[in-house]
Amino acid sequence: MLPVPTTCPFCACGCGFYLLANQGGLVGVAPSETHPVSLGRLCARGWSAHEAALWGNRLRQPLVNRNGKVESASWNEAFDHVAGRIKELIAAGKPVGVLGSARATNEENYLVGKLARAGFQTNNLDFCYRSICAPLLAGLEDVCGEYTPSVSLNDIESSQTILLIEGDLATSHPRAASAVMAAVEKGAHLVTIAHTKTQMSRLGSILLPAKPGNEGEVIDGLLAAVLDLGPEDRAAVEARCEGYDALREGLKSVKITAEMRQAAECIVRATRATFLIPPVSGEGPPSRREAAALATLAAVTGHLGRLGSGLLPLLARNNVRGACDMGIAPDRLPGYRPLDDKETQQRLQDLWGKKLPSAPGLDAESILQSVNGLIVLADNPPAVLPMGQRAMAALGKIEFVVALEAFLTPTAQIAQVVLPIASFAETEGTITSMEGRVQKLRVATGPPGEARPGWQVLAELCARFEVGASYSSASDVLLEVGQGSPEYASVRELEDGWGGVGVTRGPNGGKFRLGVAKVPPLTPAEGAYVLVRDGGYDWGRDPLISFSPTLSRDYQSQRKLFPNGFVEMCKQDADVIGVHPGRPVKLTSAQGNAVIPTRVRTDLTPGVLLVPYAFRDHLASVLGTHSATAVKVEQA
Amino acid sequence: MVFTIPKEGTTQWLEKLLEAGEVIAPVRGPCGDVIFSALRSPTQVLWDFENPLHPPKQFVLPQTDPLVKIKLNGQRHEVEPIHDDAPRTLFNVRSCDVKGIAFLTRMHEADPPDASYLRRARNLTIISLACTTPCPAGFCVCTDSGPFLSAGYDLQLTDLGGSFFAEVGSEKGEAAMAKAPELFRKAREDEVTDRTALEAVAKTRFGPETCHFGSAMRRISTGRVQDALWEKMGDWCLECGGCNMVCPTCYCFSVKDLRQNGAWVRCRMWDSCQYNAFALEASGHNPRAHRKERMKRRFFHKASAQYYTRDSMVGCVGCGRCIKTCLGSTHMPAVVAAIRKGKWHE
Repeated sequence: MLPVPTTCPFCACGCGFYLLANQGGLVGVAPSETHPVSLGRLCARGWSAHEAALWGNRLRQPLVNRNGKVESASWNEAFDHVAGRIKELIAAGKPVGVLGSARATNEENYLVGKLARAGFQTNNLDFCYRSICAPLLAGLEDVCGEYTPSVSLNDIESSQTILLIEGDLATSHPRAASAVMAAVEKGAHLVTIAHTKTQMSRLGSILLPAKPGNEGEVIDGLLAAVLDLGPEDRAAVEARCEGYDALREGLKSVKITAEMRQAAECIVRATRATFLIPPVSGEGPPSRREAAALATLAAVTGHLGRLGSGLLPLLARNNVRGACDMGIAPDRLPGYRPLDDKETQQRLQDLWGKKLPSAPGLDAESILQSVNGLIVLADNPPAVLPMGQRAMAALGKIEFVVALEAFLTPTAQIAQVVLPIASFAETEGTITSMEGRVQKLRVATGPPGEARPGWQVLAELCARFEVGASYSSASDVLLEVGQGSPEYASVRELEDGWGGVGVTRGPNGGKFRLGVAKVPPLTPAEGAYVLVRDGGYDWGRDPLISFSPTLSRDYQSQRKLFPNGFVEMCKQDADVIGVHPGRPVKLTSAQGNAVIPTRVRTDLTPGVLLVPYAFRDHLASVLGTHSATAVKVEQA
Repeated sequence: MVFTIPKEGTTQWLEKLLEAGEVIAPVRGPCGDVIFSALRSPTQVLWDFENPLHPPKQFVLPQTDPLVKIKLNGQRHEVEPIHDDAPRTLFNVRSCDVKGIAFLTRMHEADPPDASYLRRARNLTIISLACTTPCPAGFCVCTDSGPFLSAGYDLQLTDLGGSFFAEVGSEKGEAAMAKAPELFRKAREDEVTDRTALEAVAKTRFGPETCHFGSAMRRISTGRVQDALWEKMGDWCLECGGCNMVCPTCYCFSVKDLRQNGAWVRCRMWDSCQYNAFALEASGHNPRAHRKERMKRRFFHKASAQYYTRDSMVGCVGCGRCIKTCLGSTHMPAVVAAIRKGKWHE
């Protein structure tokens, strides 16, 4: 039993551990004290990381659906079939699309991007989780010119002030929560902006309550309070930032509470402050505005560009950052460069020997609704996209779907061709954490049946579309990644051991562009009830959780107990409406109505009704395309 | 019976032990961590090391432990037990871990005895290396499980400088020495004195961690720990379960069938009493739905008089692993101190 050092496949914190395996396969996980992020610690997910690959319903051989009958096929037959059908569709002028994945490696994402752009000549390229985090990244780009974080998890531990926009950090990113706890234990001020009195907000010294979707307004209040304190040295601020006067003007009428003043003082006084922002699947404009406001706050208080201080966007899935870096977006190229970036275009054309399509493509939701042929790499769109089951219906209507998957997911079940690939424990490759740390996956055991590493399958598909190159290992692919996007050039061959390499974009040279956009608030005025779709990632339907006996228990029991879903409300509201826990309520909005069981909590803000992301489909008629909406609530 | 073996003789001795079966010992892992692993050569073994974070209990109680194979033969299910009879030697294991395995064995011997565990334990020879320098986070002196032991091992080695002092604790220990009898000789009087002196010195070299179980036990056993305190401490736990995984005395498990090559393999897997769904009932009722309740349960099992009476020791061997691996800050010494003082982070 030889321990194999590898990178955690769950959230984007970038922890590492040893996978333990014997002749029979994976048997366990051992922690590592020498890993620079983990430092001997793991969360519950990490401790059971071996389970899904072992217990999961694994795909073992290529499957082809011929005339409504699913048959196993040889790899060669499957490749021929996929290439033949996609070429037919392209020749007939029908649109095709490609979905990369936030849980695939950099190498797999790079190759799937190459397949789409150079092979299929389309920018219909996206990954599902991007639609959730794109507004956040765009908001950071508005202010900083780039979205990349400026602090690491270890920096959080030595912060004096931490501003946390709280989803539920303790469950979404336990390692980051651990760093926050360590800082608080050392005496740091923790300021949380939250609609629920969560675990982290109970540890905090200052809680700024916010209605969901309106966090940006609270940040405006903080900004106004900071400006009110009269920032020290105006010349210094103007040397770093532009738009200071306009910002001041824009914040004139903002209400400032006593807690905001207190929090503003903590932020201004700190020599090291960190700002943590989770991407939640809210709506685009408010999320973008929230991120921009937070970045503005960090910039104007001097915490951007200062060592040990800065912003950290908390990405949910392990390789969101990597997929962005590989250019898995309809309007971006590798390096997350804009599609019309001439230098990058030229570099890729030289590298791939093909002209690239210039028109922006469709995003993930539109791809599902309008293409005739689709390649899906390691993802299950109905579980990830806000549109939920409507994504399943859209998938069902696509003429030709190819799934590259390790697990039998609903998407793989309806695909016309299934190409079985190795899980994280059986393949080589790299993952880029939210900090920008590129780390290795290593092979702990062989893939089941005839499954092959994803990079090999994608390399073969590329070859069938005349954009092949010979790769003898995942490292060869990484080498090419470095040629396509220079920030990955330094990664090349990662050394043995943990040795993660950090990718940075380098200073953008420009000043921070301060600004708070005016976006109408999502949540209605006082008095009305607001129904909110909780934006946390639905881990319960991620195959690495749902196939793990230990990790799936919580989620499965909840789904079993509430087959019709539930909506959460606070005790006071339940008493006013006269509904008992577990009993149904009728919700009516401008979009429509629905009846759903209630779950009563004591920690929720009055007036807020929260539906977990997992149960969003049950209230699709009430929410429509919104993430929050005013509702009338009555006993059903 | 006490003996010595010269240091240069250990390689030869280990070669003999390797001929007889697997030898598990602390080695330097691929990324610099010290880990317990099966030796490929005697030179891999470490003699001067800090105790690995991942405990050796995995060799008696694996994280994934296949128990029986269930096959469908026509209309009948055939059940075939899976036996792990491999003879193993656990070499250079530390005192706290020896005590941990002794605790586990007593638990698994209790009625009804656990055949799968006991088969592994019976085939395991434990050769320990006493701690002449306690590890920085260790507090085994508070739990009577180190730095030196007086029982529980098959053979206890002590580093005397040029040689190792060897104390025989069982017939298995004698048999391990008998693999290379020419290397061992009876210990001299001065060597016995040296060993005793080393133990006395080691006891003065502990780090800052302490754990006063006595007064905490009085409060826990009589329900005198305020609910508000459990609640407060619960907020500092991130439910990672790491404390259970690395604890040499934790043995809670769940059972799940694994489909493999046309059969089912019933596996026992490590589980954590700190996980929300650990005690969840099929009805949907969860007797320990809140973190404070799960934490209360854990520390009642670890440090109540009720369990102390049953197990004749607290459920802690003072290895300090939970201090290192706790994602929050609710490790054993911190919680015991809070219970004793009646306050947390104040």
